[in-house]
Amino acid sequence: MTNKATFLRSLAFVAPFAAVVLIGGPSGAHKDPVTPKQLKAYQSAFMEEVKKGDLLFHGDGATEKQMGVTLSTTGMACAMCHPMTSDTHPQSFPKFQAQMGKFATLRDMINWCIEKPNQGEKIDTDSEAMKALEAYIYWSNTGSVLVPGKY
Amino acid sequence: MSDELDRLRREVHEVLHEPGVRPDDSLQISRRTFVHRSLLVGAATVAETFSWWPLINTIDVAHAAEAPFKFAWISDTHLYPKSLNTRFVDKTIRAAKEAQAMDPPADFLIFGGDLAQLGKIEELELGLDILKEVKAKKYFIPGEHDWYLDMGKKWGELFGQPHWTFDHKGVRFIGLDTVSHGPDYWTAKNMTPEERMGHMATLDGTVAGPWAGVGREQLDWMEKTLSDWDKSKPVIIFTHNPLYEYYPPWNFWVRDWRDVQQVLKPYTKVTNIHGHVHQVLYNEIGTLRSIGMLATSWPWPYPPEGVPKLTTPMIRVDPGDPFDGVGWGKWSVDADGKPDTEYVMWGRKEVFVQSGADHDKHVEEILRPRVADNMYPFANP
Repeated sequence: MTNKATFLRSLAFVAPFAAVVLIGGPSGAHKDPVTPKQLKAYQSAFMEEVKKGDLLFHGDGATEKQMGVTLSTTGMACAMCHPMTSDTHPQSFPKFQAQMGKFATLRDMINWCIEKPNQGEKIDTDSEAMKALEAYIYWSNTGSVLVPGKY
Repeated sequence: MSDELDRLRREVHEVLHEPGVRPDDSLQISRRTFVHRSLLVGAATVAETFSWWPLINTIDVAHAAEAPFKFAWISDTHLYPKSLNTRFVDKTIRAAKEAQAMDPPADFLIFGGDLAQLGKIEELELGLDILKEVKAKKYFIPGEHDWYLDMGKKWGELFGQPHWTFDHKGVRFIGLDTVSHGPDYWTAKNMTPEERMGHMATLDGTVAGPWAGVGREQLDWMEKTLSDWDKSKPVIIFTHNPLYEYYPPWNFWVRDWRDVQQVLKPYTKVTNIHGHVHQVLYNEIGTLRSIGMLATSWPWPYPPEGVPKLTTPMIRVDPGDPFDGVGWGKWSVDADGKPDTEYVMWGRKEVFVQSGADHDKHVEEILRPRVADNMYPFANP
């Protein structure tokens, strides 16, 4: 038997099953394509965090109180040295951070700034405030090229 | 940038940057004191970034002075009440003591604005008290942080007129108020004075709009003030904001800078010394030379675009050292009548970048403006 004949015979056997899958979908399929409504909700959830982070970053006392954090005791806010988050360089983390003398993440650096220049109280690295600050900083730097490890 | 904005900027550039027009040759950049190391070793990365301009931190202003003299510049102390923040107090005290110790002494001190952080009486009086250390005559111009709590009431009581002029040993000095002419962004939104001040005190805020300007009345005053001054004699203008368009999203400019340039155009030796930017900055437009001075409080990063090509950037600072990247300015005129300006940056052997990695834009960034200050109740109409 030639290879061509074997191939045709196999195709005749498989084709009906393939047709069922193509027309009806996999037997366990239950997921729908994402809808504009869902996308809007996801984006909205993200932007809520960005806005909270923006307010924290700019020293909004009411938001700090609401989230139970003290990011500064000197009157300084993150944005005073980092307008529009300039020079936070989230795209360069993780990296060796000279001021700390260790390998650090963006969250480590946020806490270092809270404790040193701002003389505030370090926050939990998984806290809502940390996630909001991180969301705002990343959002502000949208489009910047990832360069992890760069000084 | 929109096509229309791009077209406008090109048009303005062609008008203001006429071929061959520069500040008078007697206004030379001096490399006497600090020659950039990269020029000596020819480091390619730095040479590429900083183009052809000599890398310096001294500046000759005028050699038409009638006798040698010195003066000092301090600005952007951003004082909070002493009970809240002692670091800014310590740095202001240090600058005042060092300015007082200048040898030979300064003929006068210019304070370039933003004495206070939130315009409080306590902050302004604290600044005045600290600066009593300097015994020479003192001249003050306001910054936006001094003004927008009580719209300049206390500042005026303490320091008088926000614009002024005087002649000293062959140089005409002019102080301009670039901060008090902001459009009213507070009345319609029923802001308290503290809220008005808070928005003004946020560099990357969007609510206060393009607040910095000189205003027609002051421009007319400046034109009249200069009308009896020989057009080839030196003029030094002190302002809080730079007198050109430098990154408007952070209001590093005055919105009527084109009108300012028109008034100054006939004068061939004009130097503008300004604060506000908290960084080393140098630019030329036509016959006007502009020099940005350091803050004593904290340094600002360079914006992601718009830094004048003639600027040699200052060194990237260590955020863990409150005395890094900040300081004051010392001006001196030698026996030959050639004055130099020196950035006094505390704790730094080098004021300027020594390699690409010394530049805060070593990590390139794309930034977007903030969102939260445009939410209710402060949304722009």
